[in-house]
Amino acid sequence: MDQHIKLEVKLPKVHDIELVALEGLELMGHHLGITEEKIGEARILVTEGVINALEHSGNEVPYVNVDFTMTKEKLIILITDFGKGFVPSEVEEPNIINKISSDNKRGWGIKLMKSLSDGFEIDSGENGTKITITKNIA
Amino acid sequence: MINVFNLTSTTENDVLVITTEGYINNAGGEKIAQEFESHFQNGTTKLLIDMKGSKVVNSIGISFLIEIIEKLNDKGGILYFTNLDPSVEKTFTIMGLFQFAKKVSSVEEIK
Repeated sequence: MDQHIKLEVKLPKVHDIELVALEGLELMGHHLGITEEKIGEARILVTEGVINALEHSGNEVPYVNVDFTMTKEKLIILITDFGKGFVPSEVEEPNIINKISSDNKRGWGIKLMKSLSDGFEIDSGENGTKITITKNIA
Repeated sequence: MINVFNLTSTTENDVLVITTEGYINNAGGEKIAQEFESHFQNGTTKLLIDMKGSKVVNSIGISFLIEIIEKLNDKGGILYFTNLDPSVEKTFTIMGLFQFAKKVSSVEEIK
């Protein structure tokens, strides 16, 4: 039977707190013998997911929950914030040509998470947002 | 533990070489942009960022690199990268950075 590891962390709105989640990710990945290449891609997913969630989590519940479930084949990352939510379809797809001439050079998080993952779902409402990211890591 | 950001810079021929270490987040990206700006004001139009010490980046930090690309583009300059972690290279590719920046193996490759 495949080894199955879970890690749940509750991250406060503290500068660079996403690094705590990355430490957990790397330790689990090394324990299961996941390649550096796959761990590296998962690092980007976690980093983007957490900073995006922290930015939109609001001040009433200034925490983000990150749940990892990892096997040798698959990583599932669930990131939950308790902010006001957003409408995913209203998020504009960023484009480097437009960004270079724009004052706003940010807004890449969702594109990166979609592109680097093998599954990406957003469930957002007035009580918060859940992002589920699936990554094949075999 | 993933280390905090630091950078060093040198000039080789007419190329500004910034070598980074640690997490390129908002503060790290801003430091790179500030270091570049001080040389850009004096006419530097070739920048090589050596990222051998930076395996972790985020898109906010990268937004400062896009700002650098914009400034270099306006002056006919170019941004080069070397020693990219595969995950960082993939991230830059997804964002389209290599439409405007180049990968090189060393500073000697830049003419």
